[in-house]
Parts: sequence; structure tokens; C-alpha cells
Amino acid sequence: MEEPGSIDALRGEIRQWLAANLPADWRERQRGDDIPSFLTMQKEWFAKLVEAGYATPHWPKEWPGGGRPLAEQIAIFEELARGGAPRMSLFFVSLYHAAMTLCECGTEAQRAKHLPAILKGEIWCQGFSEPGAGSDLAALRTRAVRKGDHYVVSGQKIWSTLGQFADQCLLLVRTDSSGPKQAGITFLLMDMKSKGVDVRPIKQITGDEEFAEIFLDEVEIPVENLVGVENEGWKVAQVTLSSERGLTLVELTERMGLSLWRLVEIASGGGRDFSAIDIGTRREIVGIASRIEALRAMLATLMANRIAGREAVGDASILKLAYSRLSRDFTALGLRLGGTASLCDTHYTLGAGYETGNWMFDFMNSYQYNIAGGSNEVQRNIISERVLKMPREKLA
Amino acid sequence: MSDFELNGGIDPEELRDAARRLLADKVDRRAPWEARDNGRMALEGAMTELGWYLLTIPEAMGGLDQSFEALAPIYEEAGGALSPLWPAGTMAAIDVLAADGTQEAQAALQAIAEEGHRVATVILPVGALAQSARVAMVPGADLATHLLLVPENGDACQLVPRDAAGVSIEVVETWDRSRSFAEVVLNNASADAMRIETPEALSLARAHSELALAWDCVGAAAQCLTETVEYMLGRQQFGRPIASFQALKHRAADHKVALELARSLVTHASMAYARKRNGWAELATQARLLATGAFRGIAEDAVQLHGGVGFTWEYSCHLFLKRALVNEMIDGAPEALNDRIAEAVMQKATSARI
Repeated sequence: MEEPGSIDALRGEIRQWLAANLPADWRERQRGDDIPSFLTMQKEWFAKLVEAGYATPHWPKEWPGGGRPLAEQIAIFEELARGGAPRMSLFFVSLYHAAMTLCECGTEAQRAKHLPAILKGEIWCQGFSEPGAGSDLAALRTRAVRKGDHYVVSGQKIWSTLGQFADQCLLLVRTDSSGPKQAGITFLLMDMKSKGVDVRPIKQITGDEEFAEIFLDEVEIPVENLVGVENEGWKVAQVTLSSERGLTLVELTERMGLSLWRLVEIASGGGRDFSAIDIGTRREIVGIASRIEALRAMLATLMANRIAGREAVGDASILKLAYSRLSRDFTALGLRLGGTASLCDTHYTLGAGYETGNWMFDFMNSYQYNIAGGSNEVQRNIISERVLKMPREKLA
Repeated sequence: MSDFELNGGIDPEELRDAARRLLADKVDRRAPWEARDNGRMALEGAMTELGWYLLTIPEAMGGLDQSFEALAPIYEEAGGALSPLWPAGTMAAIDVLAADGTQEAQAALQAIAEEGHRVATVILPVGALAQSARVAMVPGADLATHLLLVPENGDACQLVPRDAAGVSIEVVETWDRSRSFAEVVLNNASADAMRIETPEALSLARAHSELALAWDCVGAAAQCLTETVEYMLGRQQFGRPIASFQALKHRAADHKVALELARSLVTHASMAYARKRNGWAELATQARLLATGAFRGIAEDAVQLHGGVGFTWEYSCHLFLKRALVNEMIDGAPEALNDRIAEAVMQKATSARI
């Protein structure tokens, strides 16, 4: 696709800005074994992005940095990825899920309270999934009962990204169980310091704690924290879930493409003589390279369609499934080529892409994409039912 | 009679519609499997009349000056219809001749436009010479008036009339009856040949052929998947359509993903070829590899997803399966293609990094 000159200029501007502002040692400062340092680095980087306007291109134009069209948002994500900048891990939910939900469905008072706070570093998490409501999110059971000017909430949430560091939470609760499961869900904003909130980080297979469980024991949430209408929170949740508009995959795919050299390097032992690489390995690398190229092309088409407002049903599921599987295959190949050395390399960086060459960490981490945000199996249901028009399986 | 106005600004989607209508009207895909005439001469006549062979010929030589992007929808629709013709030989030759640009090449282009010359483009593997070679399966060569011989060893290409001394074109029987294939034997064949010296000839001929094959795969794979899903919707077992079983529909979903990934890369590679963007030659091969792989995967599983009837001559699964296997193997098996581009792909990977 040919880009207009304005986007080209924006790209140049970001590259220049990165050259002056990207801390060379950020990967060292975001090591997995030093969480305080990770948090400091993330906050420092976030403040710089906000100041430059690169954190909020998707916000309404009244806000600093806001009002940029999707094409420019894409360019920003691509350039930050190409420049090897840290991902926005700690602030992503705040900037996208929280801010976009408030912009589209919140009250004026909610926006006035939280949007400026987000720019100053208020951290948000999502309280959607529950132990019994993963792929079947609408089956959630965390209960809220209205008492006077507040709701009293009890239940359990799980898989809240970085929930242990969050100040605020986007919370889905059940206020009515009498009708269909999507009805009777209510969307609330919860202060994580409220009485009765207990957060426990989940230790993942990587040893890292990127997610948390949130236990709610008669937590009181003021009624003014209701988003939208009581019992109609499911609609609001759809806004939250579609808030990032594919930008995460733009970034991750770009990072994977620009990390392909790692596979070549490890296969060739760091040398430039590619013909010395085992023929089977060479073929696998070409296969991965082709899939990355295809995914980039698919993503470009999807984003162009989004910009033009003509996205087809299921396109996002096809893309996500393709990406998830590629993520696993890419890292699995690196792991195998790395041999025992990759099994001994237990130092990893948080908030990076695929470029660090810690294959074992990236391989384990790839399960995230295959499970979170609608597991591969859910995507296959969506593709077969909504795109190929195959019937739902009769449930027992 | 022309269904649409051919002019400078041809809309590829209009071409697609025209192709779909024409192929639906003229292709009887079961014919070769049931000893009926497949009517390919009528189809060839209609394609000529519609001006498809003029599309990419430069204007000065009587053509319509379009890029590969105008051909892509035709190749895709032809794949979906399991068309018996293989216009890509002539089309690839057009690109080579246009790039060469000598007076002789211009005359050859004019002959394609005005005298109905049709070309089979024959890539001669390293070791084979334009004077003396044997190529086992050349698609559509039996209908060609000329052969474009493209040696992989970098020698000049040659355009040879089919009746030239030392040229033999023998139709061969293959498992894939959906198209005709011929064995081309060259035995001291260079006497009357017109030489084409343009250094890009091999890359152009190869990339065009690969992209044509890739689009054929995309079209055929999509059609095969659609028909398979339709069958699964109608087939009842255990009191419900087998299309409702997750174990089966998840496979269909995976095929859809493979197909769409292939389509994305083939589209991207076609654009790169049409505009000669960096890396177009390798991209064409990568696109072919992904598309032939997707088609093979879908066609193979279509038989299984149909169950017993998929194994019968009467159902059409085998039509797709046989075409898929030919598409995957012709002019080089996947491994060979992969090995050819590995160096370039890895160079590219190491030059763009974070």
C-alpha cells in the first residue's frame, strides 16, 4: 500500500524522537528478576510517550496527542516496534480498554476523574474472566447487589493483567440471574484500594507474575461508578474488548518479523555463510519467513478495511489464529535450534517482543496468544460458524 | 462478443465477474472424467475474443497495457472452475518479451495480439540445454504455437515455433485430467529460434508462472473448501449434520486460515511483481509455496471430510486433489523451490532487525 506523505513524515518524526529518547539499557532495566526496576522503567517510558503524544493517538482530539486517524495510530505502533522500544505493558489497559470505554460509554464525571489521571500514570486492570467464565465469559457469577447509593460485590476474578499493580479495575458483575446470561451483567469501575479487595498474583509457567486473581468480599462500589445502564454491561464490555483495534497484533507481528534474524543467527552460529545451515533448518526458516510475510500482508489488508469501515465478520479471528500458531512455531524453532543453551538461559526481559532471543521464555509466553483474548478453539468456532456458516455443536 | 468495455482503466473486479460468468458457461469440469469433450477450444476462442490475451501486452503492440493485477482474478477464477486452459504460458512470455523490448520481441508480441500466437513457457532445469532437453509435464503445450525456452542456467531464452526442426510436443496422460500436459523434447532445436537476451527473463518467466499457479491454488482451494462445507452441512449422522461436530469444523476453520494466509501473501506478491518492488522474485516463490501447501492441505482433507463418497470417482474431491498435487510438484517440488530462495530470504531477515 502506498502511504500518503503525512504518514511518512510522522514515521520520520518518531524515528528521530526514538533516537533521542529511547533508553539504550531498557531491556536490562526490565529484567524479569527485578520487578521494581521494571515498574520504574515502564513509568519513565510511559511519561515520555505521553509527553510526546505517542501514547494517546487514539484518544479524542481534545486530549494531548489525540485525534489521530487509525492509519497514523498504526504507523506509531509500527515505528515504536521497529525502533525496538519497550512495549506499553503496564499502561496498555489504561490507555486502551479503560480510556476507550470511558470515552464511549462513561459519564462526563467519570471521564473528568480518570482520563487526566491515566495520563499521569493511573494503572487499570480488567476484572472480566472468572474461574468458571473463560471462553464462556457471559457465564460470569461475581454478584453485585445494589444497596442505597452503592453496589455490594462479592466474587472472584482471574487473569487480570498486572492486576497487582493496578489502581482501578474495569469490573463485570452479575446483577440479574433471571434471564439469558448476557442480560443481567453490569459494568462497574472499582477502586482497587476498596475494602474487601484481595489481589493475588498468579505465577505463570515462566515464573513471572503477569496476571492476578482478584477476590472480592462485600466490596462497596459507589453507584456513580456504573458505566452505561445496569444489566446492560455486556454491550459496554464489547466496547472494551474491541478498543485496541488490532494494534497489538500490528506491533507483535512487526516485532516478530524484525526478530527473524535471531533464527538465522542461531542456525548459522552467528556466521554469514547461510549455505552451511542444515537444509532442513533452512526450509523451516523459509517457511516461518513466508508465514510472517503473509501475516503482515493480511494485517495490512485488515487494517485498511478497518480504516475504510468494511471489515468482514471473522477476519479478526482468522488473523488472531494465524498469529497465535505462528508465534508458537516461531519460538519452538528457536528453542530447538538453541539446544541446551536455550534451556539454560533463564534470564529474560519483560515487555519485549521476540528480539531478545530468550527462546524458552518466548516459547512459553506464546501460549498467552493461543489462550488469551479468545482461545484458538474459540476462534475456530467463530470462523467455522460465522464465516463458513457451519452450525453450532448441539450442547449436552 | 465482448461482455465489457476494454479500456485503459480496467477494473480487476469487472474482469473477475466476466471470468466467472464465462467459466461457469464454458467449463464442464466433469467432462474429462466422463469421456466427454471438455469444450476447451470454445473457451479458448471466447478468451481470445474477450481480449484477455491483450491485457498485458503494451499498447504500442496492440495491447491494453495492464499489469499482472488484471490477470490475478482471471487465474483465481480459472482455478475455482478447474479450467482446462493454461493461459499463463502465453502471459508469462508476454512479460518476458515486453521486458526484452527488441524489435523482434515487439513483433512476437504483435503476433500474440493479432495472429493468435500462443506460447508454452518451458523452464529448462539446470543441466538441460535449449538445444537438447526433455521436460516431462508442460501445461497447455499441446495448444501452443510457440515454446519459450527459459534455461535456468542463465543462458539466453529462445522463442521457438512448435513445428521447428528438433521440437517435439507429445500429449501425456496424467492423473490430473483437468488440464492437458505435454512432454516437450528438444533435439538440436535452436536453428530457427529467436533469442531473448534480457537478463531478467528467467526471473520474470518464473515469477509469473509461480503467481499464476498460486492464484490457481487459491481459487481452487476456496472452491474445494466451499463444496466440502456444503457437503458437511447436508450429511447427517447421529441425527445431526456432521458440520456441527467441533472435531470436524475446527479442521475446516484451520483450512480457512491457511487459505486466507495464502491469499494474503499471493495478493501481496502479485502487487510486488506488478510494480517490481524489492524482492518480487522471492516473494512469488514464497507465495507459490504457501498457496500450493494450502490447496494440497484442503484437497487432501476434503476426501477425508467427505468420508466414503470422497473416495469415489463420482464425487469431485479427486478432481481437486489431483490438481493440487500437480500444482505442488510442477516446475519444482516445494523443497527445491525452498532451497532456491533460502539464501535471499535469510539475507533479507538479517538486514531488517531490532
